[in-house]
Amino acid sequence: MSEDVRALVRFYLPNFPVRRVRRLVTDTTDFSSIDYGDVVHLGGQHYMVLRDEAERRFGIEDFKFWVKRCKVLETGESAILKLVFHEEFLQQLGDITIRSYRSPAKEARILEMVKDDRRFMHGFSIVDDQGNLVRVLDVIRGKRFDLAVSEMGENHRDYFDNHFAGALGLFIDACEAIAWLHSRDERHGDIRRDHLWLEPRTGMLRWIDFDYAYDLSANPFALDLAGLGNILAFLVGRQVFRPPDLEEMGILDKAEPGDFNLVFRNRFANLRKAFPYVPEDLNRVLMHFSAGTEVFYETVDEFLADLRPCLDSLPKGG
Amino acid sequence: MDFKKILLAVDASENAMRAVEYTGSIAGSTKGFQVELFCVERLPHRDTFPDEAAWAESCERTREELKTFMAQAHTRLETLGMARESITDQYLISCTSPFPNETFSCSRGTSVAQDIMEAVRQGGFGTVVVGRRGVSKAEEFLFGSVSNKIIHSAKDVTVWVVS
Repeated sequence: MSEDVRALVRFYLPNFPVRRVRRLVTDTTDFSSIDYGDVVHLGGQHYMVLRDEAERRFGIEDFKFWVKRCKVLETGESAILKLVFHEEFLQQLGDITIRSYRSPAKEARILEMVKDDRRFMHGFSIVDDQGNLVRVLDVIRGKRFDLAVSEMGENHRDYFDNHFAGALGLFIDACEAIAWLHSRDERHGDIRRDHLWLEPRTGMLRWIDFDYAYDLSANPFALDLAGLGNILAFLVGRQVFRPPDLEEMGILDKAEPGDFNLVFRNRFANLRKAFPYVPEDLNRVLMHFSAGTEVFYETVDEFLADLRPCLDSLPKGG
Repeated sequence: MDFKKILLAVDASENAMRAVEYTGSIAGSTKGFQVELFCVERLPHRDTFPDEAAWAESCERTREELKTFMAQAHTRLETLGMARESITDQYLISCTSPFPNETFSCSRGTSVAQDIMEAVRQGGFGTVVVGRRGVSKAEEFLFGSVSNKIIHSAKDVTVWVVS
């Protein structure tokens, strides 16, 4: 068997060190044992495993042992295999704990739903020999949107006058993608800054990683909305502002408890206090996610109905 | 609207039982009240289970729990003085359950408050009663508050919120 795999790799990937070729994998149940040099055989294609994917969180690399960066031997293209990992865990959002689940079936369902929609990552799902639902994902050639934004402009004023309107326009398109998902009774489930990517080739934003599931039946879209609110605050500020940042800017004494984020109490929401040129209508949208709000957005459509008109009052320089 | 025609919305929580107690203490001692116990079935989401069998088992448990609660609430209202014929039950099943659906209507699970207000409208109830769990503002944003939504959307109906 391993001689066959070596021959296959020699044929398709002549530069790959043959001594590092390990085994042919058709059962992905034990995902953590699948490593560099293994070849996963799925649906007639062979995927050479190169490494585990990682996310950078809180300054450290967080390896995802069930997500493998691969090279498809038959096509030479890169692909990501997301293997089945039924994880159940408690997610901490500020003071609130939410029971969360990783659902391969949910992600597979959404992948099928968005297969012609470039506002989302693309891929397909396939079962291995043991019935594990593996997701085969295209690699997005691009950059995290938040990192792209943080490099825009010489300073905040320059960013706001010359780049922000463009960034907000892109973000509004991305929010419409989420509204579309909600209209089909689906949720992204894990809306974070690092799950929104800018693809230079198309100039579009694309959502990635939608395998989180929750049991939030009374307010089914609230977590997605909270995530969109966080991203909007980042876009307006070009960074997250916490009390030490406000202190450095000399405005901490002006901040009131109601000016901070409703869920994450150390994130400043009332950005007009920091940057008086942030228009009032835009700041009002931000304040819907603040501890001081009396009215919450319940749908992305409500959020967008307030956010879209804000584009008109923004400087269009750059 | 007849305020003595009450829709008493319950789940299987302690707050709901407090609402039952309160309603029973008023309606049980005065003649002319009619109470409909109304439960919107909220089942665990399929995506939160690794397979169909585990999901079905959990849904079965939840349904059993809700129906047991309804029966207990029924008995409690009688104990508090209500006549058996003045109490009715309505159990609105979930549209997305693993069980066969043999009824005409079901809950899509997007808004319990809307389901309750729709039942109020259709049944011509003059009073709606709900329990309240008491949540922080952040919890209300993330998890929703059925009682708040009912207070905001109720029209031509009396709302009792029992906390």
